[in-house]
Amino acid sequence: MEQVQVPPPPSPPGTAPAPRARVNGGRLRRPLLIVFLLAVLLVLLAPLTTTDQADSLGVPVLVDRSQIRILTTVAMFVVMASGWNLVGGLTGYGSFGNVAFFGLGAYTCAVAVDVHRLHLPMAAGIAFAPLVPAAFAALVGLALLRLRGHYFAIATLGTAVAVGEVVKNVDYLGGATGLFPPILHSADLLFLYLMVGAALLAVIVSRLILRSRFGYGLIAIRENEEAASVIGVNTTAYKVGAFTVAAALTGLAGGVFAVWNSFINQELGFSLDFNIQMILMAVLGGAGTLFGPVLGVIVLEFLLQNVAGRSDVAVYAQIGLGLLLAVTVIFVPRGIVDFFGGSSRLSLAHLRRALRETSA
Amino acid sequence: MTVLLAINGVTKRFGGVAALREVTFEVAEGEILGVIGPNGAGKTTLLDCISGVVRPDAGTITFGAHEIGHERPHRIARLGVGRTFQIVKPFTSMTVRENAAVGALFGASRLPPARAFAVADEVLERVGMAAKASQPVASLTIPDRKRLEVARALATRPRLLLLDEVMAGLNPVEMDEALEMVRSVHRSGVTIVLIEHVMRVVVGVCRRVVVLHFGEMLAEGAPDDVLRDPRVIEAYLGEKYAKKLLATTGERDG
Repeated sequence: MEQVQVPPPPSPPGTAPAPRARVNGGRLRRPLLIVFLLAVLLVLLAPLTTTDQADSLGVPVLVDRSQIRILTTVAMFVVMASGWNLVGGLTGYGSFGNVAFFGLGAYTCAVAVDVHRLHLPMAAGIAFAPLVPAAFAALVGLALLRLRGHYFAIATLGTAVAVGEVVKNVDYLGGATGLFPPILHSADLLFLYLMVGAALLAVIVSRLILRSRFGYGLIAIRENEEAASVIGVNTTAYKVGAFTVAAALTGLAGGVFAVWNSFINQELGFSLDFNIQMILMAVLGGAGTLFGPVLGVIVLEFLLQNVAGRSDVAVYAQIGLGLLLAVTVIFVPRGIVDFFGGSSRLSLAHLRRALRETSA
Repeated sequence: MTVLLAINGVTKRFGGVAALREVTFEVAEGEILGVIGPNGAGKTTLLDCISGVVRPDAGTITFGAHEIGHERPHRIARLGVGRTFQIVKPFTSMTVRENAAVGALFGASRLPPARAFAVADEVLERVGMAAKASQPVASLTIPDRKRLEVARALATRPRLLLLDEVMAGLNPVEMDEALEMVRSVHRSGVTIVLIEHVMRVVVGVCRRVVVLHFGEMLAEGAPDDVLRDPRVIEAYLGEKYAKKLLATTGERDG
């Protein structure tokens, strides 16, 4: 995690330092660092405190199996929300079909490790998982990324649904039944680490992109595509590139999910719930920022687990989530990260200033 | 005289309307050429064709040794053509400095991010925006946004700069500043093609102008001569006034 936190390299002498782009969500490092350190601590402590080990060592259970599952799910959504953010947040192309990449990655991995099919080791399955969705994204991206706004949203959604239907009707891919990758017993921690590794990779890749010519080009496309093209941004290549990287990352999460869950079918792989959740998380946390999606995942997953998961309030929770999104988009359009580092009226900096003025 | 830009028989139709019809002229290296004409004459379409935003239906556009008539905009920018938009198109979530730096990251410069910001500071200084470098674009006035358009285009290190009405809407003082800016950019060795409605600007900086009317070339020559051309006066003021005006000037001359 620390790797993500290092400050930008010092500029060569004689040149002015490159400012942090506001789109990176500048001044929110300290609160996020704390969140991250807590997460790291939790992940590191996890092996010491699973139920079995806690029993044998006589220490209290800090992290039980269900919590490891939740942590793994959080990491999985960090990958998906960060991947979506590259296209929806950074480039400004609101995709509603990224779950297709998740499904394709999951199926690629499942086919690779399935005993009746390729029967490769798990590592190979996970390694292949990003390739098929990336190739698919590069291909359909060339056509889809010519559309904008809601046309793009509908086209991507349609593509995702179509791919799911095709997969469901191919016998080699298990048809409507799905595929069953071999079950690995007592491997909760392995999958937690794999998924956290994928999440780290997603955040590091996002960070590298944000600071590069590629990232600035993507933001330029979001802000004004025509202006971007006449200053020399190869808009087609950049958009398809971002789409492909997002697909590879999302596919990786899908691959790990397939072996973790040891079952994948069309409903799971191309789940519209996942599809909407990753978008909600990125937007809620702060689309276009590095840590916004991460924060959005933590907040939304917390709400889902603690509120929406309880059957007695589940109905209201659904309404609450909808309200939450509406309130976010209207009052905090830049997402939760804006509260820590932004300049809007709902930001911490603004509150501090207001407090200082009233107390003076 | 080296020809930097050669437009040859360029035609562009939008549906049944010919926005440009057989337009032919050349721009020499180091020149400032003015493009004038009434509203809807096809001036912006001409810049769109040169910068690759739209593709001409017929004709060739040659920049240096390259035929760019059917190139995509980013390729043309990389060859060294920069442009501004009449309706400014800033990257609104970025600061002034970042806007200019993005220009230096791409175009003919293609600098790495660290050096791009140094170039951004340099071009902002040249257009008189250095003091506002850290401001968000949203806080800028219209004249400043126009300056920023020029700064971002300059940061790409163009050999040819296409300016689309950068003086429109400026007051006389701002216009003098803008004129000085254009002159200084020109002195630094950039060839300029500018579209302008304000005749004071055209006469002030251009040695040569091209007049477009309904997509056709109406006249070409020194500003003073062109502005006295009866066809040009007619295009701007209509037949009736042109006759009246010519009659009065004719009397004075005679």
